[in-house]
Amino acid sequence: MPRYVVERTFPEGLHIPVNVDGAQVCLAVVGRNTDEGVTWVHTYVSDDKRKTFCVYDAPNPEAIRKTASRNSLPVDTITQVSVLDPYFYR
Amino acid sequence: MAQSSTAAGREANLLERSAELAALAEQLEAVTSRAGGRLAFVAGEAGVGKTALVRRFAATLPATVQLMSGACDALVTPRPLAPFLDVAALTGGELEELALARTGAKPHEFAAGLMRELRQRAPSVIVLEDLHWADAATLDVLRIVARRVESVDSLIIATFRDDELDRMHPLRMLLDGLAGAGAVTRIKLAALSEAAVAQLAEPYGVDATELYRLTSGNAFYVTEVLAGGTHAVPATVQDAVLARTARLSSAGRTLVEAASIVPAAAELWLLAKMCPEAVGNIDECVASGVLSAQADGVAFRHELARMAVEASLPLNRKSALHSAAMSALADPPQGDRDPARLAHHAEGAGDTRSVLAYASEAGARASALGAHREAAAQYARAIRAGKHASPETLAGLFQRRAHACYLCGQFNEALDAQLAALDHYRTLDDRRRAGDSLWSLSRLYRYVGRPAESLETAQEAITILEQLPAGAELAMAYCNLSHIYVNADDVEDARVWGHRALELAQKLGHLEAQVYAEINLAVVDYLTTGSPGTAAELERIQRVAQENGLDEHAGRVLVALTWWSPRFKSYELADRYYEEGLEFSNDRGLDLWRHYMLAYRARCELDRGRWDEATRLAEMVIRDPLSPVPRIVALVVLGLVRARRGDPGFWPPLDEAAELAAPSNELQRREPVATARAEALWLEGREGAIPDATAPTFEIALHRRANWVIGEMACWRLRAGISEPPPDPVPEPYALELEGRRREASEAWLRLGCPYEAAISLAWSTEEADLRQALSEFQRLGARPAAAIVSRRLRRQGVRGLPRGPRATTLRNRANLTEREMEILELVANGHTNAQIAERVFLSTKTVDHHVSAILSKLGVKTRGQAAAQIR
Repeated sequence: MPRYVVERTFPEGLHIPVNVDGAQVCLAVVGRNTDEGVTWVHTYVSDDKRKTFCVYDAPNPEAIRKTASRNSLPVDTITQVSVLDPYFYR
Repeated sequence: MAQSSTAAGREANLLERSAELAALAEQLEAVTSRAGGRLAFVAGEAGVGKTALVRRFAATLPATVQLMSGACDALVTPRPLAPFLDVAALTGGELEELALARTGAKPHEFAAGLMRELRQRAPSVIVLEDLHWADAATLDVLRIVARRVESVDSLIIATFRDDELDRMHPLRMLLDGLAGAGAVTRIKLAALSEAAVAQLAEPYGVDATELYRLTSGNAFYVTEVLAGGTHAVPATVQDAVLARTARLSSAGRTLVEAASIVPAAAELWLLAKMCPEAVGNIDECVASGVLSAQADGVAFRHELARMAVEASLPLNRKSALHSAAMSALADPPQGDRDPARLAHHAEGAGDTRSVLAYASEAGARASALGAHREAAAQYARAIRAGKHASPETLAGLFQRRAHACYLCGQFNEALDAQLAALDHYRTLDDRRRAGDSLWSLSRLYRYVGRPAESLETAQEAITILEQLPAGAELAMAYCNLSHIYVNADDVEDARVWGHRALELAQKLGHLEAQVYAEINLAVVDYLTTGSPGTAAELERIQRVAQENGLDEHAGRVLVALTWWSPRFKSYELADRYYEEGLEFSNDRGLDLWRHYMLAYRARCELDRGRWDEATRLAEMVIRDPLSPVPRIVALVVLGLVRARRGDPGFWPPLDEAAELAAPSNELQRREPVATARAEALWLEGREGAIPDATAPTFEIALHRRANWVIGEMACWRLRAGISEPPPDPVPEPYALELEGRRREASEAWLRLGCPYEAAISLAWSTEEADLRQALSEFQRLGARPAAAIVSRRLRRQGVRGLPRGPRATTLRNRANLTEREMEILELVANGHTNAQIAERVFLSTKTVDHHVSAILSKLGVKTRGQAAAQIR
């Protein structure tokens, strides 16, 4: 399955509490993703929490947009990526 | 028959299913409280316990609720309407007549009969089992009933094995088509947990960890092992089943073996004829739990068990049993004999003569019921068995198979069969039928995208048939040739052959040829004049076709009405006929027409800026490779949406579309691809490649004088720097842009309802105001690459302080507004009343009222003014 990096902007910052509620929020997102065969691998968050870079495995960009809309998440850009391993050529 | 103690014990131990039972009870509650009917799908792997769940639920039904059930066949080629045959046997009356094909009912007629029956018997529960084996007619009926289930007080429960559905499975397509329907729920059954397996194993002293490891919690496997009574866990589910049957008496085993070659339920009279010496042991087999009692016979408790026993039989024993079953079924004690079951057992017995006879009969019966896929399979079976049949018989079988394959969209299979039929008719020197085969062949070449062969065989058909006294075959062959010219935008030739067909059809009084000729002529009229009167003429033809059962042609008219709306940007026309066309092609099982409707609808939605909906529809077409034309259109929609959003992967669909369009000179294939590729090149900053990418198609369009296509291509070429005024006048928005009147062109696009096109016409302007407007429109639509191009242009002109982000998109995502709601909110913000909005977006005022309330509540505001303020 192709891998994508999805960039998102949160003008007011992304705030997920580190407690049961936060875990619930994340699990709900994961649950809605599975409907479209989308797997959220992990996310890098900028220090000001206004920008996120999310790594996803998904069948196509439409599936990512569909789940983003269902999860009420903004989408700036979707880029298809592959892994470059520094030791690949050794 | 009394329930055995084992079976009763098993029922009591239905573990980990309370949530699923509650979900079913909730659906039933909706039905009995008259909130409308419901459809519940129960999915899970083989043996996970779907039937057990449904039976348990059925056992709790109040006496006021009628229960009816039926199962699909595990026959290699299932009988048409198999599960409904069981239901109809229960209801009798009109439904039974319809199901037995005595009246030649089509799926939509059967569905209507079923709905009538359900209204009379409300409230009711219908259980349809094993839909992964369903025949096409059953799925057609279910699709129709599902869409209207809310109008009957009935709960329909349908079970299927979800692990056996690949992406191309017809049931998968049905499920996707029902996604989001309010009255439809899906219940997925998971395997048993380790704790549940341990609880079940405990009284038997079996190693629970080992049991769970081998069975992965599959409920059937677990119960089979426990009932087998061995302490060691058998390594496969087959071993577990056989361990259990090994404990029966010798006569009991004989009976179980006989039952194993009869898929689904085996009638008692049938078993009595197959093994008279053993049928007395039936109570033993039921008491042990290997077989279970059904309405008029016995069945294995699970299909997995039947298959395990069948697979363990020696070959000669198996064929002797099939032979006995065949002789018994050939002369049933009551009712008609069933040719599909007979063909199945004839094949098992290796009796080719009987396979030929029964499979031909079964094919004819399936055709009469509109189950074209099953008919095609039965004819194939007859052909395989008919190697030594007469050439006349074989030619007829190939011809009927070709037609059945054509009707269910298996064009390549149809092509092979049609070629074989032609071969046989030539050998027999039957020139009329050979000519008939040739034009059918031409039609098939047209659908699979081989235009040169299509034209060649069309002309050959006419040459042969014109040497014989003129008949219906010749009239149809003229129609076919006229149709080829319609598709090629060759107006003069389409008219010549259309009129010739019409004349002959009228002389012969042949309605089908007359309707076909009239459709071609009306479509050509529209192509040349764009006259709205043509739509009325097509509506008239559609009524005639439908009243006379010419479904294929009635559907073709609805396709034609949708087909030209993207080309002529007359979306109102598409809106008017889309729902009707889609419903008609769904109901009649006209898959190809359904694809055309979906693909051109997707294009209309793209043009009107509704990209989510456009991709949703396009994906439904792309998933199922049926015929090139709708596929090309859908691939182009998907590629363009990705390119316009700046999403990755837009070239692969556009490349595949180009490949599919390449062998043909038809504009309906070439034009969407050429303009889409031109736009994608522009968005990538490679305008320089546009002239070469558009040249061949532009030339065809000039030759055909197709003015909408000429205008569109000329605009793209002008944007890439090539100025070449078209010889004939082109439609308004293109003409304005070609004259450099960009603002007026943009306004013309907005009047047509195409916001993205409106912004594109402004994107080459040198006026700052135009570019700013283009930019804000691109940002609103989420068209990042186009917005970036326009921003760069503005910055080069020294403009500073441009808005960076697509505000509208951010808002929409924050409030979770749908595309439609966003569209309506913008119209609200522009001061339109609900009535005015309704007119603009082709919805009823009432629907717009609903949307506006939803928008207010999602935004958490009270007034329209407050809502409007949020996007200003």
